[in-house]
Amino acid sequence: MIDQTTGPSPIVRLSIRAATPLALVIAVFVFFAGHNRPGGGFAAGLLIGAVLVLRSVAGFPLPFRAIPLLATGTIVAAAVAVAPMLWGDVFLDQIVIEQKLPLLGKVKSGSALIFDVGVTLIVSGLIVAVLDGFRADHLATPPPAVSNDKATTDKATTDTATTESSS
Amino acid sequence: MAVSATLAAVALADQSTTRTEFTWVGPLDLTIALRLDAFSSLIALLVSGIGVLVCVYAAGYFSASAQGVGRFAATLLGFSTAMLGLVLADTVWTMFLFWELTSVTSFLLVGHQRTDAAARTAARRALVITAGGGLVLLAGFVVLNDASPGRYISDLEPVTGTGATVAAVLILIAAATKSAQVPFHIWLPGAMKAPTPVSAYLHSATMVKAGVVLVAVASPALAQTSVWTPLGVTFGTASMVWGAIGALRHLDAKLILAWGTVSQLGLMIVLLSFGSGKAVFAALSILFAHAIFKAALFMIVGEIDVRTGTRDIRELSGLWRSMPLAYGVALVSSLSMAGVPPMLGFPAKEAAVEAALGLSGGERTVALIAIIGGSVLTVAYTARFILTVFHGGNGTPTVVGPRRPLMAAPAAFLGACTLIGFAFLGNVTDWVRPAAVTVNKKAEVYSLIRWPGLTDAFMISAGIVAAGAVLGWVISRRAADTAPRTIGADTVDTSIDGSITIARNITARVQHGSLPGYVLTMVAVAALATIPFIGAIDFDVITGADNAAQMVLAVFVAASAVAATQVRTRLGAALVLGAVGFAIAGLFVASGAPDLVLTQLLVETVIVVGFVLGLGRLTTTFPRHGTTWQTTRIGVSLMAAGAVAVGLAGSARGPVPASTVDRLSAEAVSEGGGKNVVNVILTDVRALDTLGEIVVLAVVAVGVLALLRRRPEVVLSPDEPSLLPQAANELTEADR
Repeated sequence: MIDQTTGPSPIVRLSIRAATPLALVIAVFVFFAGHNRPGGGFAAGLLIGAVLVLRSVAGFPLPFRAIPLLATGTIVAAAVAVAPMLWGDVFLDQIVIEQKLPLLGKVKSGSALIFDVGVTLIVSGLIVAVLDGFRADHLATPPPAVSNDKATTDKATTDTATTESSS
Repeated sequence: MAVSATLAAVALADQSTTRTEFTWVGPLDLTIALRLDAFSSLIALLVSGIGVLVCVYAAGYFSASAQGVGRFAATLLGFSTAMLGLVLADTVWTMFLFWELTSVTSFLLVGHQRTDAAARTAARRALVITAGGGLVLLAGFVVLNDASPGRYISDLEPVTGTGATVAAVLILIAAATKSAQVPFHIWLPGAMKAPTPVSAYLHSATMVKAGVVLVAVASPALAQTSVWTPLGVTFGTASMVWGAIGALRHLDAKLILAWGTVSQLGLMIVLLSFGSGKAVFAALSILFAHAIFKAALFMIVGEIDVRTGTRDIRELSGLWRSMPLAYGVALVSSLSMAGVPPMLGFPAKEAAVEAALGLSGGERTVALIAIIGGSVLTVAYTARFILTVFHGGNGTPTVVGPRRPLMAAPAAFLGACTLIGFAFLGNVTDWVRPAAVTVNKKAEVYSLIRWPGLTDAFMISAGIVAAGAVLGWVISRRAADTAPRTIGADTVDTSIDGSITIARNITARVQHGSLPGYVLTMVAVAALATIPFIGAIDFDVITGADNAAQMVLAVFVAASAVAATQVRTRLGAALVLGAVGFAIAGLFVASGAPDLVLTQLLVETVIVVGFVLGLGRLTTTFPRHGTTWQTTRIGVSLMAAGAVAVGLAGSARGPVPASTVDRLSAEAVSEGGGKNVVNVILTDVRALDTLGEIVVLAVVAVGVLALLRRRPEVVLSPDEPSLLPQAANELTEADR
C-alpha cells in the first residue's frame, strides 16, 4: 500500500485531504440523523475515526491526543446521566425539547443528544488511542518535501529512525 | 484529638451514658452504634489523652528534614479514630470494623520507614498475626451473635452451651493476637521497628489494650462458659512469665519495654479472666496505670535514642547524670511499673494481689502463683532497665545531643500523672470503679487504697519487690553479649515468604505471557460455556434463506472464511477477513437492518486499516507451527465456530411479536422523542448500559495507550525502593 521509498503518493495525500471535510460533514449528518434514521453517536464516532485512520496512514499527524477526547467524552456522558438527579428526577432521565427555529423549522431534541456526543468522543478517542499507540503516522515513510508539512515530516523521520534502530 | 480527650474527661466526670447510632447498610441491618459509658470513656480518655501527648512528642521526635511526616501524622490520626471507634463501639460489627482498621493503620505505622527491609518484614508479620486474629474475631462474633442474639454489646446476656464455648475460644484467641499474648506475641517486639511515638502510643498504651478491652466487654456474656477462665488464665500466665523473661534477656532498651508490655498485658488478661469483681477492678486499675507509665517510659527511651544515637544498654553510660529529667521520669514510671509506693502502680498492684487472695480453692493458688511469679519478674526487669540504661556502662559517659523540649515535656507530664494519680487516688478510684462496674457489678464496693497497713497483700507486695530487686540486680551484673532472637518470628516470616513464593510460581504458570495461549484459553472456555444452550435451540424457528440474496451472500461469507484459513500472508488474511465482514454487512442489507449495516461497514473499515497498522510490525507470512500446536489451534477455532452457531441458534426465537415492535416504537417516540428505535434504546431506554459500555471503551483505550507506548525505564532510586522489591526487579529484568 505504501511505497517504502517515496512514501504515500501525492495523489493519495491530496484526495484524503480533500475528502476530510466531506467525511466530517457526513459524520455530523449521521450523528443528528441517528435520532430518527440509521446513524447516531457510535456511527459518527466511527466515521471520524475512519477519517483519522486514513489521514494517519497517509502520514498526516493526529490532530488530537486520545486522553483529552476520552476524558471529555466520559465527563459529558456522566454529566448528562447525573444532571437529572440535581432537580429530583431519576438517574439518566431524559429531557425532550421541541422548538420552532427560523430556517430549520420544527426542531426536536433531547438530552440524549448530548449523551450521544459523549459516545462519539469516546469512540473516536479509542481509535486515536490505537493509532497513537501503533504510531500510525510514523508507519508512513516521509513524503517528498511538502512545504506545509515540513515540521511533521522531520519529526517522522527521526522517530522512524529510532524505531528501526531499536527493533 | 484534644477535643475528644476533653469530652472523654467530661463524660468520666459526670458518669453519663450517651448513645448514638446511624444506619450504614439498611437492608443488612448494619448500623454503626456508639456508646459512651463509664468504661468506654475511661479508655477513650487514655486513647485521646495519650494521643495528644504523642503528637506533641512526635513533633520533637522527627527532625525538620525528616520525610513522610505528613503521611505519618495522617496515619496516626487515622489510627486514633479507629481506636476510639473500637472503644466506643456498641455492636459487635462496629467493633469488628474498627478492630480491623486498627490492624491496618498499625501495619502502616510499623512500616513507616518503608525503605528499611526489617521494618517492612516486621510490619508484615504484625499484619498477618493481628489481621488473622481479626478473622478469628469475626468467626467468634458470628457464633456469639448466634448464641446470644442481643443487638448491642451492652445488652449481651450471659450464655452457655456449645456455641458460647466456641465463641469464647475464638474471642479469647482474637484478644490474644491483638494484645500480644503468648504464643501470638512475636509480632510485638518486631513492631518496635516503628518510630518511637508509634511504639509509645500503639504498642504500649492503646492498640495492644484492644484485646483487653475485648475480653472486658465480652466477659459479661461469656464468663459463664467452662473454657473462658482456664484459657484466659493460661494465655495470661504464659505471657506474664515469658514476656518478663524476654524483658530480662534483651539488650535493646525499647525491646525490654516491649517484652515488659507483653508481660503486663498478660497480668490484665489473667485478672479479667478470673472475672471476680475485685479482679476486674484491679485489671482496669493496672490498665490505667500501665498506659501512663509505659507511654512515659517509651518516650524516655525514644529521647535517649534520638539524643545519644543508640538504645543498646551495653553502649549507654552515665545517663543518670547527663539526662537528669529523663532519669527522674523514668525512675518514677519504673517504680510505678514495679508497684512501689508512692506511685499509681502500687495501689493497682495491691488490688491485683488482693483480688488473688479473694479467690477461693484452686483458683486462688493458681492466681497467687501467677501474680506473684509474674510480679517478681516484673520488678526484676524494671530494676534491670533502670540499672543498665541509666547506671550501667563502662565509665566513659555516652555523648548526649542537645535537649529536645518537645520530647521531654509529654514524658514529664505523664511522669507527673503517675505521682498525681497516687496523690488524688480517690478521684482515680471514682473513674475506674464505674468502669469496672459496667463489666462486673460486684466491683462497686472496691477502691484503690493509698496505704493499706500491714495486710497480707502488703506483705506479699513487699516480698515481691524485695525478691525482684535482688533478681534484677543480679541479672544486670551479668554481661550478656548477644541479643536473643524472638523464638517463632522466623517461622512466621518463613511461612509468609513461602506462601508468596508459591503464589509467584502459580502466577508464572498461569500468566505465561504467550498471547496465542491466552486467546486460546479464553476462546476455549467461552466456547464451553455455550454447551448448556444446545438444549435451548428451537429447531422450528430455524429456516433457510428468506430470499436469494441471502443465499448468495451466505455462500460468499463461508467461502471467504475458508479462504482466510488458507492464505499464507498476513496481509492477505486480513483482507479476506475484511471481505467476510463486508459480506456480512450485505447480509444485513438483505435482511433489512440499515442500522446494523452502517455500523458493520464502519467497524469493518476501521478494523481492516487497524490490521494493516498492526501488520507493519509483524512478519509478512504466518510462522510455521508444530503439528500439536496447529491441531490445538484448529480444534479451538472449530469449537469457537460451533459455540457461535449454537449461541445464535439458541437465541433465535422466531419473528418478534408485532405487539412488542409497536410498543417499542411508540415508546421511542413518546419517551425518547425519536423514531429510530435502536438509537432511542441506546441513548435513552437502556442508557445505563450504554454508559457502562462507553466507560469500558474509555478504559480499554487508556489501556491500549499504556501498553503500546514505549514504557519509560523503571528507575528505582536507592532511597525509595519499591515496597515489593522482588516484583520490581523482575519488571526491570523483563524490560531488558
